[in-house]
Amino acid sequence: MRSLLLAVLAAYLIAAIHSILAFVNKRRSLQRVAEWSMAAGFILHTGALIADWAIDGHYPLFSLRESLSFLAWALVALYSIVLYHYRTQAVGAFTMPLVSVLTLIALLIGTDASTAPAAFSATWLFPIHTTLLIFAYAAFFIVFMASVMYLLQERELKLKTFGATFHRLPSLTTVNEIATSSAALGLTLLTLGIATGVIWSSTRFGRFWRNDPKEIFALLTWGLYFFLTCYRLTANWRGRSAAWLGVVGFALVLLTFVGARFLGSYHVFG
Amino acid sequence: MSILLVGVNHKTAPVEIRERLAFNDEACASSLRQLVDGEIVREGLIVSTCNRVEILGATASDKLEFSAGRIAQFLDTSGSLPAGFLDAHLYRHTNEEAVRHLFRVASSLDSMVVGEPQVLGQVRHAYAVGVEAGTVGRVLNRLVHHTFRVAKRVRSETGIAANAVSISYMAVELGKKIFDSLKGCSVLLIGAGEMAELSARHLVNAGASRVTIANRTEETARQLANEFGATTVSFDQLDQVLHETDVVICSTGAPDYVVTEARTRKALERRRNRPTCFIDISVPRNIDPAVSNIPNCFLFDIDDLESVISSNIREREREAERAELIVQSEVMQFQQKLRLMDIGPSIGAMRQNMQDVALAELARQRKRLGPLTKDQEAAIESLLMSTVKKISHPLLSQMRRFYESSETDAADIQKEFED
Repeated sequence: MRSLLLAVLAAYLIAAIHSILAFVNKRRSLQRVAEWSMAAGFILHTGALIADWAIDGHYPLFSLRESLSFLAWALVALYSIVLYHYRTQAVGAFTMPLVSVLTLIALLIGTDASTAPAAFSATWLFPIHTTLLIFAYAAFFIVFMASVMYLLQERELKLKTFGATFHRLPSLTTVNEIATSSAALGLTLLTLGIATGVIWSSTRFGRFWRNDPKEIFALLTWGLYFFLTCYRLTANWRGRSAAWLGVVGFALVLLTFVGARFLGSYHVFG
Repeated sequence: MSILLVGVNHKTAPVEIRERLAFNDEACASSLRQLVDGEIVREGLIVSTCNRVEILGATASDKLEFSAGRIAQFLDTSGSLPAGFLDAHLYRHTNEEAVRHLFRVASSLDSMVVGEPQVLGQVRHAYAVGVEAGTVGRVLNRLVHHTFRVAKRVRSETGIAANAVSISYMAVELGKKIFDSLKGCSVLLIGAGEMAELSARHLVNAGASRVTIANRTEETARQLANEFGATTVSFDQLDQVLHETDVVICSTGAPDYVVTEARTRKALERRRNRPTCFIDISVPRNIDPAVSNIPNCFLFDIDDLESVISSNIREREREAERAELIVQSEVMQFQQKLRLMDIGPSIGAMRQNMQDVALAELARQRKRLGPLTKDQEAAIESLLMSTVKKISHPLLSQMRRFYESSETDAADIQKEFED
C-alpha cells in the first residue's frame, strides 16, 4: 500500500502548502485548493487504511508506522470538523504540515515486522482502546493549536502591536470555543480509551494496573485535562491561563505518546 | 484606435485648481458634446469627483498627440484658466498607460484612501452621463465595461477594502477580533458624543442587539436612545449594567477616570470572565489604563485606535500590491481585445477588396463567355465568390493570428495590403 500512501502524502503536501499560502496571502482560491486536496487525501487515506486492514488481516493500528499514519488520518478528520463548524482556515496552516510530516515518517518507516499482532486483534476491545486514544491525541493537538492561537492573538490585542498575525488569526471567542470543545472531546475519548485499556488488560492478564510509564503519564494527562475542562466549562476561568494549560498539557500528551516508549513501556504504540 | 486620458488628481493639483475644473452633470454632458467632434476626439468621457477631473477619449492613432493637446486646451478654457496654465498639473496617458490609469482609478488604487468604495460608483456615473450625451462609442464602451470587471475582481480577490480605516468603525473591527460576530452583543455608551454615536451606529449595523447609554445630561442620552431603541441609565447606575456589557465606548468630557480598575474587576467577576472590549476615545482618558491588566479585558485608547488604523492602512497597501498585478494582467488582456477590434474592420475591407477584384475580372472577361442564362451568370458569380472566400480565409486568419502577436498597427497592415 506504499504507492497509495505516497499519493496520500502528495495530496496532504499540496493541502499543507496551499493552507500556508492561503494563511499568508489570505486568498480564497488557495484555500479552496487546500480543502479539495485535503478531501482527496483523506479519501485516499481511508482507502489505504481499509486496504491495510484487508491485506494484513489485522486492524491497522498497532506498530509505530500504523500509529503515525492513523494519527494523521484522525487529525485530518478532526480538522475537517473544526473547519466545517468554525470556518477557521488558519488552523489548517498548522495542522496540515504536521499531518504531512506524520504521513512522511510513516512512509519512511515502510513495512515493519510487527510482532504477532494476532493476539491483540483477537479481541475487539484492543482496537477500540487504541482508536479512542489516537483520536484523543488528535483532539489534544487541536486544543494545543487553538491555545497557541489564543495566546498569540491575545498578546496582539493586549500589547496593541497589530502585526500581520493580528489580521490573519481567528477571533478570541472562536479559538477559545475550539479549545473548550476539543478539550471536552479529548477528555471523553481519553477516559473511554483508558477504561477500555484497563478492562482489556484485566481480562487478558488479570491485572488492570501495571505501573507502566505510559499508564502513569496517561493518568497525569487525564488529570490535567479533567482540570482544564472543568474550569473551562464552569467558565470561571478562561482566556490566557486556560490557554497556557492547553499548551503545557500537550507536552504531557507528547510524553505519553512518544516519551513513554523510551522509559521502557510495555505498550507498543497507540 | 488609440485611447488617451488627460486630467488632474489630488496628487498633481491642489483643491483650488480641481474645484475650478470640476464638472456637474449638465456641464459634463454639454462639454462632452462640444469636445467630441467625431474627427479629432472620436469618443469621450469625463470623470469628475472631488479628488480628480479626468477626460478619457478615443481617437485615431495618428491624431493622438493632437487630440491630447486639444483636450488639455479644452480643460484650460472650461476652467477659465489662461492657456497652458494647467500644464504643470496635467498628466497625459496614452494607450496602455491610459487603460492602466483608468483601471487603477476604478479599483480605488489611485485614491487618497486606498480601497475606498465610492470611486467605482463615480466612474459608473461618469459612464452613464457619457452614454446619455452620446459621446461613448465602441471603444470606450468596451473599455469601461472591462474596467468594471477589473474593479470587481480586485475587490473580491484582494483584501484591499477589508480592514477599517476610520476611528468610528474601529469598535466593530476590534469587536470582531474578540467576539467573532457582534450578533447579540450589548453595547454601553458612556458619554453621547458624536464619535460615540457613530461607533454605536456601526456596531448596531454589524448586529449588536442591545445599546445602553449613560450621559451626564439625561436629555441628550434620551434623544439618542430614541434613535437606537436604546435604554438610558444614570452615571451612578453604571455598575448595574457594566457586567452585562460586551463593548464599552467611553467619550465623556470628565477630567478623571469614570471606569476604574476596581469597578471593572467587580463587573468581570459578575460576568464570569467573559471578555469585554473597552474603547476610550476621550481625552483626557476616562478609563483607567490599569483596566488593561485585568485578564479578559481589552482596552484601547485613542492612540491605540490610531495605531490599528495605520496597521490596517499598511495591510491595505500590501493588498494593493497584489491588486496592481491583477490590473497589469487585465491591461494586457484589454490591449489584445482592442487590437482585435482594430483588425476586424481591416480584415473586412481586405475581403471586400478581393471580391471586388474577382468581380472586375469577371466583367473584363465576360464577353469571351458568350451569351449565358441568368442562372448560369449567377452560378459563375457565386463560384467566384466562394473561391475567393475559400482561398482568402486561411490567409486572413493567419494574418489575424500574426497581428495578435505582433506590434504592427492595423492601419499599416491594410495600407501595405492595398499597395
